[in-house]
Amino acid sequence: MAENNVDYSAKIRGVVAQDLLSGRIDLLLGWEKGHYWWQSRPLFARDQADLERLAWDSFCAVNLSRYLVDELKENKKVGVLLKGCDARALNRLVQDNMVPRERVIAYGLPCPGMLNYAALLEAAAGRKPDGIAEENGQVTVRGGGVELTVPRDRVLLDKCRHCLYPNPVHCDQLLLTPVGERQAPERFSAVQERESLSSDARFAYWEKQLERCLRCYACRQACPYCSCRECFVEQEQPRWLSKASQPSENFMFHLIRAYHGAGRCIDCGECQRACPVGIPLQELNRKLIKDINELYGHYEAGLDPGQEPPLLTYRPDDPAAFSEK
Amino acid sequence: MPRVGVFICWCGTNIAGTVDIETVVETARNFPGVVHTADYRYLCSEIGQDLIKEAIKNEKLEQVVVGTCSPRMHESTFRKAVAEAGLNPFLLEVANLREHCSWVHQDKTEATAKAIALLRAAAAKAVLNAPLIAPRLDVEKRALVIGGGIAGIQAALDIAEAGYPVDVVEREPSIGGRMAQLEKTFPTLDCAACILTPKMVEAAQHPQINLLTYSEVEEVKGFVGQFDVKIRQKARAIDATKCTGCGVCYEKCPTKTESEFEMGLAKRKAIYVPFPQAVPNVPVIDRDNCLYFRKGRCRICEKECPPQAVYFEQQDQILERRYGAIVVATGFDQLNPVEYGEYAYGQHPDVLTSLEFERFFNAAGPTGGKVVRLSDGKPPRNVVFIQCVGSRDKARGMNYCSKICCMFTAKQAILLKEKVPEARSYVFYIDVRTAGKGYEEFQRRAAEQYGVAYLRGQVGKVFPDGDRLTVKGVDSLSGKTIEIQADMVVLAAASVARGDAAQVGRVIGINSDQYHFFNEAHPKLKPVETHTAGIFIAGACQAPKDIPDSVAQASAAAVKAVGLLAKEKLQGEACTARVDQSGCSGCLYCEAVCPYGAISAVQIEEHFRGEKLTRIVAEVNAALCQGCGSCTVACRSGSINLQGYTNAQILAEVDAICL
Amino acid sequence: MSLAQNRPKTEAATAGMEAAAQDRAWEPLIVAFCCNWCSYAGGDLAGTSRMQYPSNIKVIRVPCSSRMNPLFILRAFQRGADGVLVAGCHPGDCHYSTGNYLVRRRLSAFKRLIEFAGLEPERFEVRWISSSEGDKFSEVMREMTAAIKALGPNGKLRDGRWRKIT
Repeated sequence: MAENNVDYSAKIRGVVAQDLLSGRIDLLLGWEKGHYWWQSRPLFARDQADLERLAWDSFCAVNLSRYLVDELKENKKVGVLLKGCDARALNRLVQDNMVPRERVIAYGLPCPGMLNYAALLEAAAGRKPDGIAEENGQVTVRGGGVELTVPRDRVLLDKCRHCLYPNPVHCDQLLLTPVGERQAPERFSAVQERESLSSDARFAYWEKQLERCLRCYACRQACPYCSCRECFVEQEQPRWLSKASQPSENFMFHLIRAYHGAGRCIDCGECQRACPVGIPLQELNRKLIKDINELYGHYEAGLDPGQEPPLLTYRPDDPAAFSEK
Repeated sequence: MPRVGVFICWCGTNIAGTVDIETVVETARNFPGVVHTADYRYLCSEIGQDLIKEAIKNEKLEQVVVGTCSPRMHESTFRKAVAEAGLNPFLLEVANLREHCSWVHQDKTEATAKAIALLRAAAAKAVLNAPLIAPRLDVEKRALVIGGGIAGIQAALDIAEAGYPVDVVEREPSIGGRMAQLEKTFPTLDCAACILTPKMVEAAQHPQINLLTYSEVEEVKGFVGQFDVKIRQKARAIDATKCTGCGVCYEKCPTKTESEFEMGLAKRKAIYVPFPQAVPNVPVIDRDNCLYFRKGRCRICEKECPPQAVYFEQQDQILERRYGAIVVATGFDQLNPVEYGEYAYGQHPDVLTSLEFERFFNAAGPTGGKVVRLSDGKPPRNVVFIQCVGSRDKARGMNYCSKICCMFTAKQAILLKEKVPEARSYVFYIDVRTAGKGYEEFQRRAAEQYGVAYLRGQVGKVFPDGDRLTVKGVDSLSGKTIEIQADMVVLAAASVARGDAAQVGRVIGINSDQYHFFNEAHPKLKPVETHTAGIFIAGACQAPKDIPDSVAQASAAAVKAVGLLAKEKLQGEACTARVDQSGCSGCLYCEAVCPYGAISAVQIEEHFRGEKLTRIVAEVNAALCQGCGSCTVACRSGSINLQGYTNAQILAEVDAICL
Repeated sequence: MSLAQNRPKTEAATAGMEAAAQDRAWEPLIVAFCCNWCSYAGGDLAGTSRMQYPSNIKVIRVPCSSRMNPLFILRAFQRGADGVLVAGCHPGDCHYSTGNYLVRRRLSAFKRLIEFAGLEPERFEVRWISSSEGDKFSEVMREMTAAIKALGPNGKLRDGRWRKIT
């Protein structure tokens, strides 16, 4: 990210290079530029040459925490760059005993929010953009010899638009200056809109969304709470659901996928971003977050690893969503 | 596919009257795996059971399904029959065709269809049944009694007399409990000390009983037969092996403080025994009040002690010991009525609780056995007893009856009349409850022979009025307002659970009701058992209770404990959770929801690309697991499963019922 | 009722069943999961006391309501249940101390989630029924059957390859 003429990538590279070259970490998980200018992909850096490719820009949406699970099998100590959501994902994985925290060096990157290419396309008004420039909360989209400037908030990823915690928590080192607190007054507005519909209209909505599901499980692969060694969808004994992409099976998969995240989902939105057919998966996750918060007190997964997830505990005077007469 | 046999019981006409047995049997023949079907008038009879046993042998059955009454009724009967025929007893499934079908439906077509569905589900589950073996558990042949009141003493004596060693943990410096504070007991008016003290001495001298006074249970781990308990023996600052109980130390001690035993109505020294008959007769130094512990000087007791038993440097000791059974008898408290402002308790010295008033009758009590007003030392003429203070009080969320108050109030009114013949007693009551042998007669005697005036109604307010108290109430029988000028007011404050009962329950691992009284396993049929196997309850920690009930319950709890200790081995739960370690990711959510601490983490080694890696997975201690299955739901990958109710089995039942 | 309905579904049997079904009014199928210690025993008491309720309810016994995996509930709907009930001990009375406290949280969240997906609230219920509440057991069964009858057959979450809506 080179906003206001500061090369943040270089700054980050400087800090992590020291740790990597001194052997404090065996591997650094970061980002590098992908095939297109609007893509940044994971970087697995082992030496100075790898580090040269490190990039921190407005397209580093990929959550790197998940890669720790596998990388720690082969490396003693791994450094990882974490945005706000990624840091909570790390906490989630630590809480689930998937990542031994003492073998991770977490470098926090306060995050201004990542950009959505689809929104940029829209902002470019039909022209194919070939790059952007950012300054003071504005994004200038260049393309076809024309420059169009839009407010940054308008071209953010959906997951970033409703982000409450852009500053990483529980990191070993914060590499950049914290960004300002964020409000997300519309975090649950899509959920509320759906709630206001009739049962039948809601069913029709989801039926339409879920019939597109290819059962590719990209949502699961991207998710930091999906940490099972064998997912229930693939088990043979018992066979929870068949492999066919069939409406009731798709409902079953998505309802249980969301339910398995009840009280655990950090709302990072990686599932929805990973979905190749654009199913609004985060709506299901947020529905659970909203209800559990309403019923059992405010809880944000991944924020405080010492706090017990709400479905693993109880109070004798808890309310219920059914009649207790 | 295993060879399944299906057996349908007519239960006389109980099932056959509503369910078409022939259709059911015909249909069952087509269930997957079924190779044999039969029906009989009474399957639970010996002939019926033989029918099953013979079919198992002749037809080489591997799974048995019975369509009978509720499994809660005869599951164990048929398990035994199956076992006698050489099959594992858990290769049996019961379809409830009576309680859940023939008895609740009248239409024969409907009931038959439902019977078929239930039977099909049972058969689908049976096909997936696996042989299970209940773990056999060792029994540590020693009991722990928590609480040294009359219930605890009785339980300890009974267990010891049966030949097993018992440790009694009492948090106060002496055993004796609430009963030691009483002057007389109803309905016989014998002196409490006269019947309690011999029991206390007997317990102290019994070769099988080990008293751990001034001690508290800090941790209970383990399970029935093998409870591992940590007990903190608080430092008395006295070497009990040297102390002769001469009492010189507390005579010489310069510091006075309120006596807990006397309900704060009298003073004791900083080094003290709580009451003269204390067992053991070994003093304790109260470190919060002792001059030496507070300011580092004094040591008079140490200087004066003839056998040199004072030992200031003594430290708390932690005793770790294993017990086979535990009896909890931690007793009760009397409600502090200070929040009940209408009775002026705490605002006027002559408004007392009944336990405080009890001490006035005792020769060693705060007034030397004289019943006098604390305000002016004069004997009272009018005494008003107010019943149900904090009991049967819906408005304050205290719905229950404290059970003993009607009787102890009658007792105190009688004792008062004997001490102060000119005194008059008035009792404001909601109902007089005197169920118990000789109780009604006793209460009638108070009213008829001792002239105690019983007024049915509630007291609205007690006003301090000069040196007297005005009690305003309503007589609900006549509807008239009553005003009495009283010299003393005695509040029958509710019997409540100990202030820390909920916390104690958590440490021990038993649950309590909304008032924090410990819960029995069944209100009628398991009154001294708890939901935790091997832990029993006795006395007023379970609910308000008088002495005879507490003693009876203590003996009952003792028998249960002895019955357990007498066993060579215990049979554990067979349907326990089991972890598939290859699928387990080690998140340990199962551990978090397990109510028994039966799940823990273990490290396993795995090979990954030629290298050895270690990771943690969950492991179930089958001896601790009670088979609730909560863990199976916390496990997203289904890597922990409940034997006897596996995920595959429940899914098969669902599928079969919906077919 | 024809026996064919209860045989494994061959094509002919299914056809026969469908024909038979045409003659009958639709009856809902309700699967009730009952904990062994309270609700199942409450059902036994309803039986002992001969308290009648509709035969639409079929009970599956589980040791504790905390054994209820939401997948079992979805499976029942998928295979053709028109309603699902989970019944357990009253909070505070759980045989296993804390099971139903956890259930309250788990199934409250799950109930709201499946309602969010479009299922009518009446189709999935949780009730606390003690072993002494035979009357409550039969009443809950009557109420639930009436509610589901009013709603009609459930097509949502159902897999058409299994039980057909008749």
